Amino acid sequence: MAVFADLDLRAGSDLKVLRGMVETAAHLGYSVVAINHVVDFKEKKQEIEKPVVVSELFTTLPIVQGKSRPIKILTRLTIIVTDPSHCNVLVACTHLDVDLVCITVTEKLPFYFKRPPVNVAIDRGLGFELVYSPAIKDSTMRRYTISNALNLMQICKGKNVIISSAAERPLEIRGPYDVANLGLLFGLSEVDAKAAVSTNCRAALLHGETRKTAFGIVSTVKKPRPSEGDDDSLPACKKAKCEG
Amino acid sequence: MVRFKHRYLLCELVSDDPRCRLTLDDRVLGCLVRDTIARVHGTFGAAACSIGFAVRYLNVYTGIVLLRCRKEFYQLVWSALPFITYLENKGHRYPCFFNTLHVGGTIRTCQKFLIQYNRRQLLILLQNCTDERERDTIQKSVTRSCFLEGSSGEELSDGGEEATETME
Repeated sequence: MAVFADLDLRAGSDLKVLRGMVETAAHLGYSVVAINHVVDFKEKKQEIEKPVVVSELFTTLPIVQGKSRPIKILTRLTIIVTDPSHCNVLVACTHLDVDLVCITVTEKLPFYFKRPPVNVAIDRGLGFELVYSPAIKDSTMRRYTISNALNLMQICKGKNVIISSAAERPLEIRGPYDVANLGLLFGLSEVDAKAAVSTNCRAALLHGETRKTAFGIVSTVKKPRPSEGDDDSLPACKKAKCEG
Repeated sequence: MVRFKHRYLLCELVSDDPRCRLTLDDRVLGCLVRDTIARVHGTFGAAACSIGFAVRYLNVYTGIVLLRCRKEFYQLVWSALPFITYLENKGHRYPCFFNTLHVGGTIRTCQKFLIQYNRRQLLILLQNCTDERERDTIQKSVTRSCFLEGSSGEELSDGGEEATETME
């Protein structure tokens, strides 16, 4: 069975809050979390902020409740696209090199999902992401979240959907079984809802990793560079030649 | 066999503020859950869930709550639990949330799960504790729990209470 993952923790400016969120996630049973940096492309040439370095956050990673391994922290970039001429959701599904398409819930969606681009996206391995923390905070948001989610379910039949919290504070995260139950409210079946928190998240992560590889088979790993003041740092072949 | 089948939801109250758990009361909690169900599922939800609904067990020190509801409507109750964001008692409002640990058909299965869960929590507390006195108390509770295998959960929750009291 795949492990539970929460792929959206909003990165604020406060590291302490972020640390609290990761500890809460570990306590609730999530094995993988991803810290999300959101970038809005309204102004041109905006700088992308540097992602949070995980080693700065924690010296020892908190251990996941119920398992003996420490939690795995990843980072993630989200780009908000509001200009319909620039980039459309349909275009994003079919051509852009992304892993997840996030469905905004702040307003009623101005366009309808069409089945052909969604099917192309599912074939490419894209995931559709639903967030649930606006639903917990506000009741109008709740209505929009559920209506957008049901709309999505009718088109994509519950495949490749992931549910995550766009949590900004540690008290906005919910446990994995509770989130799977929220999936039932969003129109997923029981099996799909549980997969939305575990298997589909893992699939999205693997999809992200395969972008670094050639057709998903070969991957290159950066070798750690030896320290500067080390005299024995001659490469092994040169060493052999000198001695031999 | 004709009997009413129930589902027991074992939940844990998670909060920043340590005083939040101490203000837990079964009537307050019952009203809170019923209000949330009415908010989320409307009149039908409130009516359907109120027939077999009860708070069966409440541990103020560890924040463990056992809720009972009818089997036909347990998903309505369960899906309303993530929407609880605060606990209000005597004018004080504490932000908190519920984490569902286990869903069982009988109190006995929930108790078995709770015993295992408390054992694991004691071990985690043992790792994180800083004081020698706390370490002694927790080690005593752990050895007692291993010794009394198969006995009732009250012994264990007492050990947990002692440990949490010394911690605070």
